[in-house]
This record gives sequence, structure tokens and C-alpha cells, in this order.
Amino acid sequence: MAAAGIKLHPSCRARQEGFGLLFYDCKGPRLLFAATGTLIPADYFATPRARGEFPDGITDSQKPALQKFVNQLLDKGFLHEQ
Amino acid sequence: MSNKYVEMGMRSPVNLTWEVTQACNLRCSHCLSSSGDPAKNELSTAEALDLVEQLHTAGVFQVNFGGGEPFIRPDFEQILAACHGHGIMTCISTNGTLITPELVARLGSNRLVAIQVSLDGAVRETCDAVRGKGVFDDAIRAVKLLAATKIPTSINTVLTTHNADEIPAMYDLAKSLGVSLRVSRFRPSGRGADNWESLRPTPTQLLAFSDWLAKSGDVRTGDSFFSLTSQERQGLGLNLCGAAKLTCCVNPDGHMYPCAFLQSDHFEAGDLRVNSFQEIWDGSAIYESFRNLRIHSCEECTRFDQCHGGCPAVAYHLKNDINGGDPECLERCVTSIAESRLQEAA
Repeated sequence: MAAAGIKLHPSCRARQEGFGLLFYDCKGPRLLFAATGTLIPADYFATPRARGEFPDGITDSQKPALQKFVNQLLDKGFLHEQ
Repeated sequence: MSNKYVEMGMRSPVNLTWEVTQACNLRCSHCLSSSGDPAKNELSTAEALDLVEQLHTAGVFQVNFGGGEPFIRPDFEQILAACHGHGIMTCISTNGTLITPELVARLGSNRLVAIQVSLDGAVRETCDAVRGKGVFDDAIRAVKLLAATKIPTSINTVLTTHNADEIPAMYDLAKSLGVSLRVSRFRPSGRGADNWESLRPTPTQLLAFSDWLAKSGDVRTGDSFFSLTSQERQGLGLNLCGAAKLTCCVNPDGHMYPCAFLQSDHFEAGDLRVNSFQEIWDGSAIYESFRNLRIHSCEECTRFDQCHGGCPAVAYHLKNDINGGDPECLERCVTSIAESRLQEAA
């Protein structure tokens, strides 16, 4: 059984670009451009993450914005909770 | 769709068209690449697998395989497996004639593949007139085999003057078979250039199709990477040409081009036997020119923000000028019909 948590949807991919992360959903196809800089590694959501879990180095002041971003990715279907 | 990030430049294409062979068992009259016999110096298996490694390293998300008929290549499934092994999504454009239950069973075990079967009419006579005798039945058989699996399958139709009135029926046909419909624009490249006048849809047909498409949210379009939803289609056409910005094309012998419709020496971006994929993507002067392309002649048009000048490939093939704006854009269809009516009234 797969570990529970928030993960990249199977139909989606992400990669690092100069502006941040580029998300791709082959089912649209559709793209999402996220100006995250280098805050989140492209492979961060390749493994399940708990709600409220953030990459190393994220400061407390950055967390609310990042949590909002994760919620948007969930709403748009680029991430899913398993 | 925000373009500012695209303007900044992507480290690699989002997806690309890879024409793995020019060999085809059909001779469709609208074929964009004049497929038939294999090209003289097609990439070997080792070269093709090396390219897959390069695409993985570059971060390409999806490869759209075409040709020619991809399944003619004996090593095609090996190339597919290499892509899937790296998590690269694939979409195969096939004429369906070589699809067998055994092949479908092998493909069906993979979640990273989607298949488009070409069909150019809702009835046998219309389709076979373009694709050859018996092809309609073969394609339908292939679609039925694929529809019985979990493989995302679509019928891909090139809009011509002969099938324009059948598109709603094709939608119904696709639905009855349990697959989706994808409609591509007919472009004057390859044999499509030779048969342009006899196959091109009329302005009235193009506008009627556009109206129908706007109401048909689950129909995909082949040439509008960012105009896939019915809402976006209200803009009448492309809102961004992705050539050399988000996509590109690799031909059977390893040459790279901005898109599948611009495979001529004039638009050659590089040779994978000479330079790496990344070197060509980053350093090609042709790609740079497409990234800087601005269709100034269209800037006064009220729809410029929606289409940005349309398809450079159509502009090149019809006017020999990629800077001149798309001569077949739907706004020009509106103008053309209005002018015809004025002339008739005069």
C-alpha cells in the first residue's frame, strides 16, 4: 500500500525552470507556471508529503504562502492526496 | 495563459514531435510529411535510445510520436519502453492498420501511453478517399481494440473541405466507440501542399467549425496547444505558437525543426548526429528567431491578443513569409466572406 500524503498526480510532471517550477498535466494538456524560484525542488512531490510539511530551509514567514500554493496545486489537480 | 514565463525561455521543450520513421503503408493525400518510403538515413536503434536519454536529461515531459507510421519501425516498442522507463509520457499518432490485439495488450500494461488513430471521415467513402481503400474499416477496428483498454484513445481528424460537414457525426462516432475526438488543422505541407486547393476547407466551413468547436468542450484540437478549452477557443485560433518555445520536432534522420510543419532545410535547427539535443535547443539560430518572432502586421487586429498572428507554418507555406501573419486565420475568414457578399451584392 502506498504511503499516505500529498503527491504529484500521476498524469502530471514538474521540472525546475529559471522562474521556479513548471508543472505539466498531460490530460489537458495544461501547464502551470509557479514563480517559486528554488524554494521547492522539482522532485519534492515525487514522494508523499504530509500537510504542513515543507522543504528544508523554508522559514516560518515563507510557510503561509507556500501552504497556499500547495493548496492551489491540490485544487487544480496537479497534486493529489492519497 | 501567461506568456511572460515562456518569453523568459524554457530550459527544454514541454513536449516534442518525433517522427520516428518516414515509412508508411499508406499514401494519404494530406500527409504533412509526404510519408511512404523510409528516409535514407533514419536514426538507428542505438541513436534513438540515446536521444531518449537526452530527452530525459533535458526534462522533456512528453514525446508525441508520429511519422510515417511509427509501428512500422521494428524497434518502436523498445523506444517507447525507454521513454516510459524514464517517466516520459508518450502519445502515438497511428493510422491504425498495424494495431493488433497482441500489440494492444502489450501497450495496455503501461499508463504513460496515449494513442491517436487517424480517421478522416464519419463514413467509409469520405475517409478512404483521402487515406486509401479499406483504411476506414481498419481504423475503426483499431479504435475498438484500444477502446476496450485503459489506454487514452482518440480519433484524430484533419479538417478538410470533404469532411467539414461530417465533424459532428465524427464526434458522435467517437463517442459511440468510447473514445474522444481530436481535430487538426489541415496545413499545406508535404503532400498537403500538393493537394491544398482540393482539400482546404472554405472560409465558411472554417467558421462553422469554429462555432461548433466552441460548443464542444471535450473535443481537442491539434494545433492549439493553449486553446484547448471551449472558453479559450472564443479567441478564434491559437493564442500562442509554441514552436521553438514549448515544442519542437525531430525528424526520422535526427534533424531538428521548430515544428512538424516546418521540416525544410530553411528551418533546420540542428543535426543530432552533430550536436546534442540540449545544444541545439539552447543554441540554434533558427529557434532563437522563432522565440523572437513578432507578427507586427497583425498587431492592429482586434484579435491580436488572442492569436498573436496565428500559425507561422501556414504563413510560410502560403506566402513564403513567417512574418506575414496566418493567411488562413479565422479573422481573415470573416473578412473574406464579408468581401464576397459585398461583391455579390454589387
